[in-house]
Amino acid sequence: MMLSLSEMQRDALQELMNIAMGQAANALAKLIDAKITLSIPKILVVSTAEFQDMLQPDHYWFTRQSFMGQVKGEVLTLLAKAGTETIGELLDYPIPLDNASQEELLLELANILAGACLNGFASQLDLKSKLSMPTMFNVQLRQAESYRWHNTLLLEVEFELEATPFDSRIVICLEGHSVATLLERLDQLLED
Amino acid sequence: MPIPVTIADDSLLSRKTVRKALPAEWDISLTEACNGKEALAAVAAGKAEVLFLDLTMPELDGFDVLRQLQQHHAKSVVIVISADIQPEAKKLVESLGAFRFLHKPLQADQLRQVLSELGLI
Repeated sequence: MMLSLSEMQRDALQELMNIAMGQAANALAKLIDAKITLSIPKILVVSTAEFQDMLQPDHYWFTRQSFMGQVKGEVLTLLAKAGTETIGELLDYPIPLDNASQEELLLELANILAGACLNGFASQLDLKSKLSMPTMFNVQLRQAESYRWHNTLLLEVEFELEATPFDSRIVICLEGHSVATLLERLDQLLED
Repeated sequence: MPIPVTIADDSLLSRKTVRKALPAEWDISLTEACNGKEALAAVAAGKAEVLFLDLTMPELDGFDVLRQLQQHHAKSVVIVISADIQPEAKKLVESLGAFRFLHKPLQADQLRQVLSELGLI
């Protein structure tokens, strides 16, 4: 079943994501002492196959984290390969990065950004959800069938770091049941 | 006389959040604007003695609204309500003449406190 959102639901989701990403950007900005530019969040409904096509393995590193609780799903964090060293330097990693410290850095960044984003989002809707630790993953090795969702809601936000090539995207993918829970909460918020 | 107040935000949900957070006893006439251009039009029409201003908006963003108000020596009391909560954003809007910088999600008690500090309620 293809999911559809009313204009008001879309507006509300976008605004909630906007606020959540503001918190995530602030968390990262404090750490690296640089200004982060936020884009307007995108709300998309896609199938897993369309989703696979959206991912650009040449451009980004990928991490994934699952979340459990009143809403379930996965958070993917895309981190630009181009800016990894710059961020590493800002965070006092020894440059050039070896494989182990690069992975550590990427997982740390993903955890900060995705954690703040998901928390910000869930707390505004008064939903409880717990995020697992991130792991790296190789998009090319992953089959579309291995995703636990089919047509679902993607909440995508982009962060850009001023004066560096680094950018990051966070994609929150919700399981079917969780989409219904989320929409219920949204409607309550809009009705009050 | 009710005080002319404008809420400028492209999000319906955010405008509603601000509207609901306004103290019930505050005597105002309320205008809503969906972007920066509408916000400036509201100021020009005398509808924004107090302006609640979002930063990321289409057409003209909140920073540009502040710049234009500054250029025209507008007397509106501007309270920025922003999702971008980085200290840099706060510094910039304050240098552009905003009276206060509040974070989203907006807390009604914070808004009340700010209005009372500014002598508006």
